[in-house]
Amino acid sequence: MADNRGHLIPMYVVADESGSMTAHLDELNDGLASLHRALLGEPMAAAKVRFSVLGFSNSVSVRMRLADLRQENELPRLTTYGGATSYLEAFAALRNQIPQDVTALKQEGYAVYRPAVFFLSDGQPNPGEDWEEEHRRLTDRSLTLGAPNIVACGIGDAEARTILDVATSNDYAFVAVPGVELGATVAKFCTALTTSVIQSGLSLGTDRAELVVDKPEGFRMAIDVV
Amino acid sequence: MREHSFFPPVSRAGSSRPAAQPDSVYDQEADEQPAPQPVVVQPLPPPQPTGPASPLPLAVPPPSPQALPVPSAAMRFEERWSPLVIDRPAASFEPRPPSGPSYRPDTLFDGWSTDRLTVRLASVRGYGHRHSGRPREDDIAVAVHPSSGTLVFAVADGVSSAEQPHLGATLACRTAVDTVLAQLAERRPELDWTAVAKHAAWQLVEHAMRVRQSDQPDAAEAERMLATTLVAGTVEPVDRDARVTVIQVGDSAAWVLRDGQYIAPLRSQSAPRPEVASSSVSPLPRLPNEVKPHGFYLAPDDVLLVGTDGFGDPLGSGDGPVGRTFARHLATPPEPRGLAHLLDFSRETFDDDRTLLAVWHRRRLDGGAR
Repeated sequence: MADNRGHLIPMYVVADESGSMTAHLDELNDGLASLHRALLGEPMAAAKVRFSVLGFSNSVSVRMRLADLRQENELPRLTTYGGATSYLEAFAALRNQIPQDVTALKQEGYAVYRPAVFFLSDGQPNPGEDWEEEHRRLTDRSLTLGAPNIVACGIGDAEARTILDVATSNDYAFVAVPGVELGATVAKFCTALTTSVIQSGLSLGTDRAELVVDKPEGFRMAIDVV
Repeated sequence: MREHSFFPPVSRAGSSRPAAQPDSVYDQEADEQPAPQPVVVQPLPPPQPTGPASPLPLAVPPPSPQALPVPSAAMRFEERWSPLVIDRPAASFEPRPPSGPSYRPDTLFDGWSTDRLTVRLASVRGYGHRHSGRPREDDIAVAVHPSSGTLVFAVADGVSSAEQPHLGATLACRTAVDTVLAQLAERRPELDWTAVAKHAAWQLVEHAMRVRQSDQPDAAEAERMLATTLVAGTVEPVDRDARVTVIQVGDSAAWVLRDGQYIAPLRSQSAPRPEVASSSVSPLPRLPNEVKPHGFYLAPDDVLLVGTDGFGDPLGSGDGPVGRTFARHLATPPEPRGLAHLLDFSRETFDDDRTLLAVWHRRRLDGGAR
């Protein structure tokens, strides 16, 4: 291992800017601002995050790339000029960008945690697009360097089935409840995810280590437990 | 009478090795114990001869390692004790008190010498836990077996997602050291390192039973409550060298600092580096199928380092500024509080608890007796 300059988590907010999202964009922008404030209040976590914002409709606009949010005064505002909802373009853009970003950060000497994508949409993709295959390639860890965990947040009259299909785990699929401030919810989830990624946890699915089950012969109790 | 396989003599240029000792009268008792794990001595690369300096000028001088400020009477007290900054500093803030019912100091350090070995150690709460108000989840324990002069050590890193990882780390360290000392007192021909790991694991299970006021052992509950990594071992002075034996459960590690380079005897050379980093570990009370002791010799000018990943991650290969800084300041034993200060360096994104044990052959220090 070469010198390690630090551990970073690339995070991507991918926001649906299609025409059907018009009514929700102010709330989403408030959510991004809230997320920014939340991370600034956690300087240890913020130091480890590199933040990208992508908006998509028929095509994808990269609004911010690998930003250190401690250095940013504000996040870019999401806007809509109408247009359709191409999940295919969104996932293709991620599949292109994430491996480049991971490679660039590693070349700078950082260790990179698995990237996280926050996918915000009303869950109504263009009909007839085979976005599922692009999504499968993006999240296949044998195909894509830094294949991300995707947290999917359904907004408005979201199709729950679609949101579940986009999220890489059922635990990562959310549908906004009317009356609940969506932006704050996303911000809270984002900071919680950052903390959980950073802190050491138990290996899942380990097959090389077994829990101890028998009291060893000659075992002595600890006398001076703290 | 058979020769035991523990530390078979290893021939190495310029270094005399002790002949294998015959087993003692404890053979029969030992045979009734679970078969101890033989130590396969992995010889480290031989030290480079220290000849006269090359007459050729270096094309590019290596960057200077960070130097601790040399205190002077004129130096402001605050400046003297401010953290050593390496590269970009972590955020500066006043720490929050550690949560939890029992007192857990932010920092501990210690240092002393036996006739043959000089020991320094420190364990410091990470910037992350200082900011969030969690206790230091690393711990360390050391002891000396009186009659043999063998140094016994354990270093542990509680797993943050557990409920009380700091207690798990403390229990594992103390149990491992106590178990090794008990085996040394029995004069076993070979230490049973599998038993050491099992005792440490079981201590976590017992503690979880006490806390839950249960009479049924529940290792899964102990893991949720107390999971911790563990590195434990011994340093046994032998002639001019010292024999080191280390076991490892989880990602804490050991290094030999030799001529400014870091050798990682526990690192598998065949294991591929993951494409993306992970903070997950497989800790106690989980035991690997095989608790394999690693053995190697510590040459007269080597420094043994044993530490948690809070030290190992920023160290990396040792080629960067962190490695150069520690190589410079650990060339000879620092003041114990100096090691704690050094270990508390500030570098952005490295905010984990840090624990480090350093062991030197005892050497003549300025004004000191061997």
